[in-house]
Formats: sequence, structure tokens, C-alpha cells
Amino acid sequence: MKKYAIIGFGCAGFHAAKSIRQVDPEGQITVFNDTGQPPFNPMLSTYYASDKLGLDGVFPFGTLEELQQQWSLDIHHNVRVDWVDAQSKTIKLEDGNKHSFDSILIATGARAIVPPSFREGGGDYYLMRTLEDAQRLRSRIEEGGIKRATVIGGSMVGIKVAELLHENNIETTIVDAASYLFPLAAYESIAKLIQQRLEEQGIKFVFGAQVSTITQEGVVLGNGNTLESDIVCLCIGTTANVELVANTKVVEDSPVKVNRGIVVDMHMQTTCPGIYAAGDCCEGINLQTGKTQIIGLWANAAAQGSCAGRNMAGKSTVYYGNILHNITHFMDMDFIGLGDPTLPGERHTFKKDDLIVEAVLEGNKINSINIFGNYKISGILKNHLTKLLMGGDSKLTIAQQGLLANQGLSWEFIKLIGGEI
Amino acid sequence: MSKIFILDTEKCIGCSSCAIACMDQNDIEPYEGDIPFRVCFTVEQGSDKDSPFSYLTMACMHCEDAPCINSCPAGCLSKDMDTGFTVFDNNNCIGCHSCAMACPFAAPCFDKDGKMVKCDGCIDRVRAGLEPACVRVCPYDALQLVAKEDYEKEQKYKKAKILAYMAFDK
Repeated sequence: MKKYAIIGFGCAGFHAAKSIRQVDPEGQITVFNDTGQPPFNPMLSTYYASDKLGLDGVFPFGTLEELQQQWSLDIHHNVRVDWVDAQSKTIKLEDGNKHSFDSILIATGARAIVPPSFREGGGDYYLMRTLEDAQRLRSRIEEGGIKRATVIGGSMVGIKVAELLHENNIETTIVDAASYLFPLAAYESIAKLIQQRLEEQGIKFVFGAQVSTITQEGVVLGNGNTLESDIVCLCIGTTANVELVANTKVVEDSPVKVNRGIVVDMHMQTTCPGIYAAGDCCEGINLQTGKTQIIGLWANAAAQGSCAGRNMAGKSTVYYGNILHNITHFMDMDFIGLGDPTLPGERHTFKKDDLIVEAVLEGNKINSINIFGNYKISGILKNHLTKLLMGGDSKLTIAQQGLLANQGLSWEFIKLIGGEI
Repeated sequence: MSKIFILDTEKCIGCSSCAIACMDQNDIEPYEGDIPFRVCFTVEQGSDKDSPFSYLTMACMHCEDAPCINSCPAGCLSKDMDTGFTVFDNNNCIGCHSCAMACPFAAPCFDKDGKMVKCDGCIDRVRAGLEPACVRVCPYDALQLVAKEDYEKEQKYKKAKILAYMAFDK
């Protein structure tokens, strides 16, 4: 009977366990979870904080007991793994217990970034990553008395936090070192338009501003000014939990390579044979660059976890990778970013009523797309872009072209991005 | 037994009966802001083609490995094991539109409360032995719901027939 160890029980850890069980009904699957919770989706934290979702809704796969039973898992919760020895195939827990394994997955996820200098000012701040973060912000809002809030980070999470504060009639300012919103996903033109719409609704912005620290008065900027705030929320991104790799004794000459995340191949195996990684702690292939990169998205973690699980159970499976893509729905707006907006090319714009689609093309190759004001077409274009990068048919199907036209895109623009009629 | 929707474009006359029946069945009121689950449209293929026009009717394709399922952060979508339909329970839907970005066929819609709704294959009708509303009203049987197994057998037979014809022709 094969023994599987899964370290971390989020989306990737869950999908790995499920896939292993589907391939190997007899194997012993042991999950080591440093929380007492079933897999939690960080993306749901703002929805929980704003009371749009109850506690039962933030654990999409069910309770620990249900998962334990349904997939025959041995779940150790509230326990940290101290080290992994890939040679003797053993892990040691912080309580001193050791467990042996035949195959192991590191799915330790990511955590919110807090620069040390931000702590030095002695001010309080709220993060938005874990259920505890969401509970804390929710309690603070319920407590009342907040007039002014500052959100550090014009990220996808930052905008959702700003929305939630705004809904609670709190004067909200977003501050960011970048010069416009969503710089990793949006073109400046689209970002400025979103900013304008948000300003019309009352959100304020301070761009190109470094934050020095957080004090009890608020956020101190690099120029010495203080944005006075009753509450400060920190949404400047995440960092992969890769510390376990430093405590890993690897098979000779095969150290686990770590850049920003743990580097994996298309089988989700690290550079050390027998050790797999998946989810927000790892770097899989970015289909556009061919290089490894953290693409921290829920569905990506699911696909990576499934692929890792199948390979661990002996069923050779490949996950070719993904593209950068985001959809965010906030304050009655939809923004979708597909591909890397920094890649070069000629910009083409389609505008009709409230719909704007911009695409950057390098010759006939689509490098990136921004959509503002229509969620319906996002899947067609995302799948088209992914298919192109996977070497598939470069043309949109007749049905997809018809659906795009049905949503208001001109035949000229459809032809430009891959139509053929 | 898994079922699939098939559309014979040579029979479809673009009458949109299927879309109307779908709206009726699912109480969709487009003039009140509801978005229809099924859309019909004409594709102009050019006057040089054998058939210059083609009519299409599209709703959820109930993909075998439906990408919307894993994309939903709240676990609202799943597969019905009997029919193979992609079904949903939108109680915990947060209206994030992630399913829409995963779907290559623009199937997910959002209701006035911002919750995801879409074609569920008229699963209640099918479980009761009835045809889905769209299939029921199609005047030329262009749109059909068939057992996947039967469809695959027929496709294999058709392919074999073509191969045999080609071999004979040589």
C-alpha cells in the first residue's frame, strides 16, 4: 500500500488528495494541515467580511469530517511540518512525530505580504487573506466608528476591500506605488477609466506613492505626508510559503529549486524527484513566456493539484500551464485581463456603449486582451488565447464568433482577433 | 445514462422556438433584466459558400470536463452523475463571474440578485422522462437530447461508412 503525504490543505492539497484517491483506492493519504479548518478559499474572505457569505459558504468542498470520510483521508490538523527528508522519505512534525511517505506534495499556499517597515510605526492594520483576517475586519466594521479608511494596494483584493468599506459608508482612499490600478493585468487606458468610474462613486486614489509606515494616525507616505485613517487595510499581494524547502533534505545533487515559488515541471514535480508542489506556493509554466511563474488563481491551483495527485499515484499526467488571467467584479463593473499586458505589440480598441475590448497584437499573435463592461465574452477570449498558445487552431469557431457578435462585437474586430468569415 | 444535446445545423431554420421555450420554462423575463440561457443567431458564411447562412442555437454545452466547475470559488457547480448535465446550486454564489471566464461558450448568466444561473438541461423534466423544453418545441428535430453512448456509436458507424466508401471508391 502506497503512502502519500500532502502538506497543506487548500485548493491544491484537496484536489491532489481527491485525484490520488480516484487513481489509487487503497493508498494511505495523510494530510498535514496547519489550521483546524477545511480548505478555505482566500478569494471568499472579502465576501465573508461583508456578510455576503456565511461561514458554511467559505469552505467550498465541505467540512473536515466530510472530506475525511468521502475521500478516506487521514487529516492531521493544527500541526506544522518541521522538515522533509527526501532520502529516507520521512517528515517530522513540530510535535516530534515522524511519518514516512512514498510520495509527497508541498501545497503550503501563500500569505499576505507585510513589509517590516510597515510594522515599525506601531499602527494597526488589517489583512485580507485568511478567514481570521476576514473575521477581524468584519468585527471591526460592526463595531462602528470608522469614518476614514486607507487601503494600501490597488490590487484585485484591494478593490474588493475598498468596495466593502465604501458600502459601509466609509470614506475610502486607495494608495499604491504604481501609477495606475491593476498594473499586472490592465492597460493604463482601461485602468484610468476604472479609476474615473470609482472616483465618481466616491473612492479616492493616491498613485505613485511609497508607504513608509503605518502609525496610529494612519498611513505615512514617503514624502512625509500622513493619510489620516481610522482603519488601514493592507492588500499588496502575497508571498509563497516556501520555508519548508529550506528544511528539506533532498536526494543527492537535486536541490528543490525556488525562485519566488517552488519551481515545478509539467508533471508538477519539483527539481527533487519524488517531491511535488502545487498551488500558490509553486511556479508552473506561464504559457506565454515558457518560463515558470506563480499564477495564484483558484482554478489553477485545482488543476495543478489534480495533476500532481495523479502523477503521485502513478498515472502520468501533464499540466501544460496557464496564462495570466483575472476577472474582477466590483461596484457594478467587470474588468477582465487576459495575458501579460506588458508584452509588446500594436493596440487595437473596440468600443460600443459600455463595452470596451482592447487587444495587443504582435503581427497576428494576440499578446493580451483587456475587457471592460462584459463578463459574457471573457471565457470565449480566454479560451481562444490559451488555445493559440497551446498550438491549437488559430481561428475562433463559428459558434464563438456568433456569440461574440451577439454580445455586440463588430465582425471587423472579431476577424482581427481570430475570426474568419 | 449520460446525455448530450446535438444540433443538426442542416435542419435548423433559425426560428428561435427553442430560446422562447427556454425562457418560458425558466421564467426568464428579458425585459426585466433577465439574461436568456439560450441564444439563437445567424452566421453569414459568405455568398460563395454552399449555404451562405447558418443558424445556431447555443446554451450550456454540459462539457464532459466542464472548466466552470473548478473555477467556481464557492463550489456552486457540479456534475449530475445520471445525466452528465452541469448543474448548480447558487446559494453560495458570490457573483464573481469566474465561471464566465472559464466557459468557452458564454453559458453562465447572472440574475438580478447577481447570482449565477444557466441551462441545467431541464434536469427536472428529463428525470421525469420528458424532453428539455428547447428540444420539445423544435419543429424540425434539429435540436435533440440523445444518450451519449448512442451518439458515439452512431458517429463511429458514420465514420466507418465513410471509410468503407472511400476504400470502395479507390
